[in-house]
Amino acid sequence: MKEMAENKSPSAGVRGWQIALLVGIFGLIILFYKGLWGNPSFIPPVIVGTAAPEITAPDLYQPREVTLSQFRGKVVVLNFWASWCLECKLEHQNLLAIQKRFGENPNFVMLGVNYQDKEDLARQYLQEHGNNFEHVRDLKGRISIDYGVYGVPETFVIDQNGVIRHKQIGPIVGETYTFLVEGLIEPLLNGTATTS
Amino acid sequence: MMKPFVLVPIFLLLFTSLSTAQTLTEDQLQVRVKEVAKTLRCAVCQSESVWESNAELALQMKEIVRERLIQGESPDEIRAYFVSRYGDFILLKPRALGLNLLLWIGPFLLLAVGGVFLFRTLRKWVAETSPASPEDLSPIDEKSRRRIEQEIRALEPDK
Repeated sequence: MKEMAENKSPSAGVRGWQIALLVGIFGLIILFYKGLWGNPSFIPPVIVGTAAPEITAPDLYQPREVTLSQFRGKVVVLNFWASWCLECKLEHQNLLAIQKRFGENPNFVMLGVNYQDKEDLARQYLQEHGNNFEHVRDLKGRISIDYGVYGVPETFVIDQNGVIRHKQIGPIVGETYTFLVEGLIEPLLNGTATTS
Repeated sequence: MMKPFVLVPIFLLLFTSLSTAQTLTEDQLQVRVKEVAKTLRCAVCQSESVWESNAELALQMKEIVRERLIQGESPDEIRAYFVSRYGDFILLKPRALGLNLLLWIGPFLLLAVGGVFLFRTLRKWVAETSPASPEDLSPIDEKSRRRIEQEIRALEPDK
């Protein structure tokens, strides 16, 4: 009986130790799992939630400069695209639909940013696929790098306060379109968006 | 008043010194651009540095590094700019922060935990296998004792 009592306390200590070790190992396994089976090319959009960088860029069609600050107080949808980008074609009709839906609203602006492209090819693309909103040219990648863009299409939704609320990587199709239109732009324009 | 033929060499001297100074800073600038660009990851071709890559994005990023160096920004400030846009991802050598910190110190932490564990186990083994006190040993019987002595004598024939 005496021996058993003596043995009990150190073994309980070891058990606490073992539990801590097990938790640690389990944590590491989760970390390794995320590292090995996660998408290594996924870049977390750190820019979301920060102030949208200022844009000063030439209009694709007219000899004038467009700035982002001139749209302050409005909801701005910023779409990066290129004529050589296949996935841009997938979302193009949806972009036109978004403009058609909100274009009348004085508090809404959609701006296309033509990324790593040639001016004439960009115009040709818009002529071919249709166009109903303004576009600027991204000279030397200044705008796209300022926004952390690493491919096209990428779309940013900027709120009335000039804060980036969402970054969409890849084309706006299917559920993404529904989410952007009904879950984000509309609530922002109605002032019913939840602050996140 | 200086005569024109005196002015010409002065002008030439000034001009050449200016141009050599410019090429020197150009070389230095290139070295510094390389220094920074080698630590940045090309976001398109993710296993390459911005310096090595010929992707358009990498070329544009190099151009930005160059401009910011000319404006007098430090390499750390330039890196901070890219991190603010692309996140830690853009650094080829990630900073020791947050979860990254765990990866940095994790191996040493594990080594320490393993060391403590090994130390404890070894001490336990030593305690278990330490020689018992003489009273614990059961006395050998007379017959066996005589047998052992006989065997020892057999091993030492000289005596």
